Formats: sequence, structure tokens, C-alpha cells
Amino acid sequence: MESLSQLFIEAGTLMLAGMVFVFAFLGILVIIINTVLKPLANKYPDPVAQAVTRPTINKTAGSDGVSPSVVAAISAAISQYRQKHKE
Amino acid sequence: MEQLHTLWMSTGLANFEGGQIIMMLVGCGLLFLAIAKNFEPLLLLPMGFGAILTNIPVAGFSEIGGLLHYVYYVGIDTGIFPLLIFMGVGAMTDFGALIANPKTLFLGAAAQFGIFATLFGAIALNAVPGFEFSLQDASAIAIIGGADGPTAIFLASKLAPDLLGAIAVAAYSYMALVPIIQPPIMKLFTNEQERKIEMAQLRHVTKVEKIIFPLAVLLMAIFFLPAATPLVGMFCLGNLMRECGVVDRLSSTAQNELINIVTIFLGLGVGSKLSADAFLNVETLGILALGAVAFSIGTASGVLMAKLMNKLSKEQVNPLIGAAGVSAVPMAARVANKVGLEANPHNFLLMHAMGPNVAGVLGSAVAAGILLALVGQ
Repeated sequence: MESLSQLFIEAGTLMLAGMVFVFAFLGILVIIINTVLKPLANKYPDPVAQAVTRPTINKTAGSDGVSPSVVAAISAAISQYRQKHKE
Repeated sequence: MEQLHTLWMSTGLANFEGGQIIMMLVGCGLLFLAIAKNFEPLLLLPMGFGAILTNIPVAGFSEIGGLLHYVYYVGIDTGIFPLLIFMGVGAMTDFGALIANPKTLFLGAAAQFGIFATLFGAIALNAVPGFEFSLQDASAIAIIGGADGPTAIFLASKLAPDLLGAIAVAAYSYMALVPIIQPPIMKLFTNEQERKIEMAQLRHVTKVEKIIFPLAVLLMAIFFLPAATPLVGMFCLGNLMRECGVVDRLSSTAQNELINIVTIFLGLGVGSKLSADAFLNVETLGILALGAVAFSIGTASGVLMAKLMNKLSKEQVNPLIGAAGVSAVPMAARVANKVGLEANPHNFLLMHAMGPNVAGVLGSAVAAGILLALVGQ
């Protein structure tokens, strides 16, 4: 029975130490995210700006804001129409 | 006549023992759960089949020279399979929601109370005649509360290989049962008003943050808990492969082909531990009961922590997301979302619950490291 109470004490210490450690570990991680990652995010934002500008480049190339795929579809349809009406 | 007798003695029918038949039925039960009920089928199917194979008389699958014997010793005894799975899980995990709302890490931490409370419970079971759990056994059982299959198998293979079969069966069954176990507990500890709380939209997380995060986690594990570095290290490797954007092929292999291959062998290897002498005893019943307790306590402490957080912090926190702190990615987050939708049909908590959910994975890896460091030889 003595060994059982000893086991209980060990389990209790393990529980206490474990929870304190888990909270400390993840708590430090919270601090790291707030102090290191957030400033990094502000300093090096995602290159969203490029993603936004790309369609505008396409727009100018496609003239009058019509996207190239629409132009391609229309020209394909026109050439098909012309071929049909030649015969 | 002599030859006929020899032939008869080489059949399965002549060599069956009662225990083997029961364990084959247990294997069939696992197959049924996997196929008919869709309970974690990816693991329970090979596990159930492994249980059938290992109990075939004469064939000796799990004796030296047998297939399952080698699968077990190569992959599970060494800890390699669960670690490879963990790498794949890392490659599948998006830490975006966690980085956007870092305080959810505390929810993941709180839910680990399920593990340590169960450790206490397992020792308490020793007072009942028939149970004799050492501190190692108790730790391996308690990790079921981490709701993380690979972590549970990893720790059990290191601390209590004899109990591995029962622990793995319990861990995966309860993970499949998350949608049934969790909602009543979540509703018990919250009121209608709290369940309706809507949370602020998460901020955008940049690529740089996502790349630095796994490295930061690894660095912390190196400094404070080297015992957890096998788990945390493989997890972070997988996550870095995912987020860095230059090794998409490796990332895709880790989260598809590799994890699938390893899952087959992991299931078979765990199934090989489902032999009659190791499984058919009162300790297995104790493990199954303790596993359910571990899950429930973890869920409850996550919810209570989220309630506390809601009181203390400026932004509102819906207590339901605390329940997702018991890893079981992404099932627990989906459950939080579902219970939230029941209270308020316009309240989508899924992304908010993913934060504590992945925090729970880190939390249980850390808890496993602590248990390894403190009770492992």
C-alpha cells in the first residue's frame, strides 16, 4: 500500500510538472508569435501587390479591359464562323 | 493413416485456441467499424486485418521470421512509423489560424489536462484488484487523452509495448467517436448565450510567418524539451516542406503516398499486437475506460479555459472552440463548428477552432516529450 501512495505522489508531481511545462512551452510560443512573427509579417508582407498588378498588366495588353482569354474565345469563334461561311 | 493425421494437425481447425478465435472476432469487429461505420477506416482496417493474421494458428505471422513480426520491429518498436506519419501530418497542417490568433495555444495547452488527469486515474485504478499499472504504463495510457494516434503509438512503443495494442485501439476508436463524445460535454459547460458568440475575423498570415513558425517551434523543443524533438522535429520538417513552397513534390509525397504506405504498415504492426494473451485481460477494459475519461476531461478543460479566456480578453471567444484543443485534427474543429451552428446558424467557427486544434497537436507532442523525459528510462 505504501508503494501505491508513493505512486500517487509521483503521478501528482508529474501532473503538476507536466501542466506547468506545457503551459510554459506554449506560452513562450505565444510570445514568440507576438514579438517575432508579427513584426516580420509587417516587414515582409506577402507579395499580394504583384498578384493584383498582374491582371492590370493583362488588361492593358488585352486593350480596353477585355481579358486575353475572352479575346481568344471571340477570335476563335470568328474564325470558325468565317470558315463555315466560306464553304 | 500417419500422414492423414499429420495433414490434420497442420490445418487451422486442429490448432485453434479459444483466445485466437476471440481475437479474430475482435479483428472482425474492427473491420466492421471501419467498413460499415466508417470509423477511422484508414487505420482500423489494416489494424483489424493484422489482428486476424496474427492470430492464425501455425502460420506464425508474429513469431520470429513472420511478416508481422518484422513489420512491428522495423517500424513500431523503433518508433519510425509513427514519426513518418507525424511528418505527413505536419505537411497537412496549416498553422495559419493559430498564428493569426496565438492565444488559442493556451486552449491547446489546457486540453492536455486530460492526459495528466488520466495519468492520476490510471494509478488510482491500481487500488482495484487485478490492475497493476506502473508509472510507465499509466503514462502510455494517459496519452490517449492527447487524441493523437501517432503520438499515442510512439509513446506506448517506448513506455509500455505490452499495452500498445489496447492503447492504439482505444486511441483510434475514441478519435472516431469525437462527434459523439464531445457535444454533450461541450453543452454541459456552456450556456446558449456563450455558444452563440461570434468571433472576429482572423487576420491574414503571411508566408514568412508560416515558414518561420515551424523553425521557431523546433528551436524551442531543442532548448527546452529535447525528448520531444523526434515528434516535434518530424512534424516541423513536414510543415516546413509544406510552407516553404520550393519542395512541393516532397510535401505532396509526405502527405499522400508516404503517409498512405506507412499507414498500411502501421496498422498491420499494431494489429500484430492484438494477440489473445496481450489483449484479453482486465487491463484492456481499464484502458478503454480510462481513454474515454481522458477524452472527456480534455474536452472539458479546453472548454473551461476558453470560458476563462472569454472573460479576460477584450475580443470575444466562443467557449466551444476550446473543445478542439484535444487535437483529433480536423474532427474536433468540425464538431465545434457544428455545435456552434446549432446555436447560431450564421456562426462559422471552423477556422477559429482550427487554431486550438493544431495547438492541441503541439500540446500533446510536448506532453509526450515530458512523459518520455520524466518516466522513460
